[in-house]
Amino acid sequence: MSGAVRPQACAVDRLVGAVDSENPFDTPFSELLPSQLEAINERFKDRIGKIKLLQNRAETGGISEVRCMADVVPLLFAHTAYKTYPEGWLVEQKWDRMGRWLDTVSTHRVERMDTQGINGLDAWLQRLESQGHYVSCSSGTTGKCAMMNATMADGEFAGHSLLRAIIWAGLAPNHDRRMISLGLVAATPRNRASGKPMREAFNRRDVAPFAPDVPPITIGGITEMIVLRKKIADGTAKPTEIAYFETQAAEREKAIASSIEQAADALIASRHMPLHIMGLFGPLYQVAERVRAKGYSGKDFHANSAFVSGGLKRVQVPSSYREFIFETLNLSWDRVCLTYGMQEINTNAPRCKAGRYHMAPWVMLLLLDESGEHLIEPAASGELEGRAAFFDLSLDGRWGGVISGDKIRATWAPCACGNRSLSVADEIQRYADTASGDKIACAGTIEAYVRGVS
Amino acid sequence: MSLVQDAAAVSAPFFVRGKLIAATEKRHRSRDLGVDFVTPKLDLDALVTLRTEPGPLFDVKLNEILDFLAATGERMRLDRGGYLREAVDRIAATNVLPRAVIEHNVRMAADYLNKAKLLEYAEHNLGDARVLDEWLPRVDSTGRRSFTRAFPPRLIHVLPGNSPLVSAQSIALGAMVKAVNLFKMGSSDPFMAVAILRTMLDVDPDHPVPRSMSAVYWRGGDEQVERAIFQPQYFDKIVAWGGGDAISNVIKYLMPGLQLVSFDPKTSISMIGMEAFDSEETLEDVATRAANDVGLLNQEACVCSRVLFVEGDRQQVDRFCERLQRKLVDRNALSGKAPPLPRDLAEEVDSMRLMDDEFGVWGIADGSGLVVRSDEPVDFHPINKTANVVQVKSLKDALKYVNVATQTVGVYPPARQVELRDGLASGGAQRIVRLGDAGGQSIGAPHDAMYVMHRFVHWIVHEDGLV
Repeated sequence: MSGAVRPQACAVDRLVGAVDSENPFDTPFSELLPSQLEAINERFKDRIGKIKLLQNRAETGGISEVRCMADVVPLLFAHTAYKTYPEGWLVEQKWDRMGRWLDTVSTHRVERMDTQGINGLDAWLQRLESQGHYVSCSSGTTGKCAMMNATMADGEFAGHSLLRAIIWAGLAPNHDRRMISLGLVAATPRNRASGKPMREAFNRRDVAPFAPDVPPITIGGITEMIVLRKKIADGTAKPTEIAYFETQAAEREKAIASSIEQAADALIASRHMPLHIMGLFGPLYQVAERVRAKGYSGKDFHANSAFVSGGLKRVQVPSSYREFIFETLNLSWDRVCLTYGMQEINTNAPRCKAGRYHMAPWVMLLLLDESGEHLIEPAASGELEGRAAFFDLSLDGRWGGVISGDKIRATWAPCACGNRSLSVADEIQRYADTASGDKIACAGTIEAYVRGVS
Repeated sequence: MSLVQDAAAVSAPFFVRGKLIAATEKRHRSRDLGVDFVTPKLDLDALVTLRTEPGPLFDVKLNEILDFLAATGERMRLDRGGYLREAVDRIAATNVLPRAVIEHNVRMAADYLNKAKLLEYAEHNLGDARVLDEWLPRVDSTGRRSFTRAFPPRLIHVLPGNSPLVSAQSIALGAMVKAVNLFKMGSSDPFMAVAILRTMLDVDPDHPVPRSMSAVYWRGGDEQVERAIFQPQYFDKIVAWGGGDAISNVIKYLMPGLQLVSFDPKTSISMIGMEAFDSEETLEDVATRAANDVGLLNQEACVCSRVLFVEGDRQQVDRFCERLQRKLVDRNALSGKAPPLPRDLAEEVDSMRLMDDEFGVWGIADGSGLVVRSDEPVDFHPINKTANVVQVKSLKDALKYVNVATQTVGVYPPARQVELRDGLASGGAQRIVRLGDAGGQSIGAPHDAMYVMHRFVHWIVHEDGLV
């Protein structure tokens, strides 16, 4: 699929090919826009006959061609588009129906398969992988799980482009560090693929990289919780089932605590060599606390480097958490790469020296109003606030246009770091976190009657 | 420039123990439509009555209270002060309900204050309404004598924002049980309760009914306010509507002496038997009734039907869906369209359109009326004039979908209510009605599985020993 020659897709290839150019992040938006629009139009023409939801979207929005940014907006999928399957199908393991649903949001046909002997979501996902569908899921523990199809090439590109972005951000992988991974992320194809090139580029050849020895967080495991929630709501869950899951949840808590402890121990044990640390800020903070509690801090470590992706994910930490982590593990901004990304798209935006996240040329950022319905036109100078939406031209397995739940501030003007690409400010909020809980009405659902399974 | 002159923000005065407080000191934002409104600063001390001080209504007879409420209803109809007109204007700005629906609701609120009907309500709720005024004597089978009184409570009412009528009902019930009442208004309607209470001042500015009432706004969950006043020393019960954040905010303050009377968030449904397909006229009639129950208050309230179980084959059920969608659209002439569906819901419906061997979709997601047919209830909560029709072989098969969140069940034909009601009640449903009559209410009937006045009052016994 990925290697296939696309004679008409030259704009797409040109933009995506920039991943290997010396500095993909220096092209100004105005220069980029015509080819981005051309490329999105190419994608649109090619995918309209393949992705059913896109076809529906184009018909509803009356879009037959992409000529300007506003034409892209009706074609964007809400970040909820990948969770529109009826949950009952998952609970009752109706894999044939789930397959038909997945097909409506996929580029490459999800063929009917023999669903005999598929026992659970993980098994279904594995079967899909054998057919070239690498499905990643969002890892929320409440509500539905988003299921996003991708190809093998998508995964490879995610990993490769991430490594390039990290190098652009100033890190210099040279097989001279031990890689310490904190784990604690779901074992999705996207997460697996994006870690691999980094590991290969950074890790010393004489030492094995470290990852905590705990049972992996599988999508099936996450989904089991969601299924139980539904059964509780339906009134069909038995007390023993609820008790069983409370035990499972307690074990998961223990595994998380153990990961933190193991990572802290590994850091201390490997402190005599330079390290490259990979994880999320929340767990990283906890690890740093453990390292301090064991009597170690910055002076005990070499000049370490780190890759940190994503926000805090609602973890409560003191406001000085970054300084605390940096001081404890001997990190500094020139040796740390932060990126802004999400499961819904393939490409991460790396943070520059001026503390802003830069968009790759093959990703168009569209700033929308809070409702997600209307485009906020780019401004030549200054910063504008709104809901982030993206079109990631590198995506093959599904549609590249998606509206996020993030509230961001973006500028189209050149950045203080010297690069001229569009950039996003460091403070990124989720609209879901900013909504007030003030709504009182008599109408409501059974969801309010389900106590969260911890 | 004072805040009042600011065109972007409407003024929402408070009412505190019989006095209108009209200052404009604090700016808030309504949750649903993001409209700003300005209120006075909250004086926490003025909101509580110490227990050493009897409430203004404690010794007022029910008959006098009812006369006063009826006179208030009369004044509300005349609205000489324009308070209700103003409230309608303001609610229309902060609330998703169409203006015509709000106006109708306000008229219903005035009609609710009817002496005979309110007395009937109390009689039916309490068995004997004299228990509100007197210590009623009784001698039990062992010869012990006791006196019982439904003693006035101290109540905080956390009002819902989706129905101005509820403000009138809460005020009437709070007055009849002679309570010390604090109404916490919602951000999508911080006006109606105050408009009614102001009208009372025109009837008699010194009457104990308005003196027993306060209506104010603070942002739900504001701990500075709630931690200070949600105390058993000040109040006996919190009367709250809704679920989710609204109720979890309240639940954390419950403790010995401070109870919750909750009107839980509810979903209502319909059950339509195969008799609907007896003739074309019948089907038209059934679809009209169903559309009434779905579209009531533009589907903002708990009584509105959202999932309709229909007995029949695919072709029959689809015929019903097509007509139901048409009838929902017809209702727009009456009450206007609902807001368009939020994007995530619209997306979910679009996905269903794509899987046409599993689902059927009639209409578009613009709030004018949408019907989705499926084999089991959809995952989302149908709102903004959306009906989910679920095809079933037999209505008995639908009983498994009834749960503790089910409130009203509209049944067609009416004769089948009897065959279904025990199963419905066992599943959790609380109200069984004829299809099309979800908005109807017999006076003093239980609401959310309780007699409301019975729950409001403080049942006190005076034991007088063996006679």
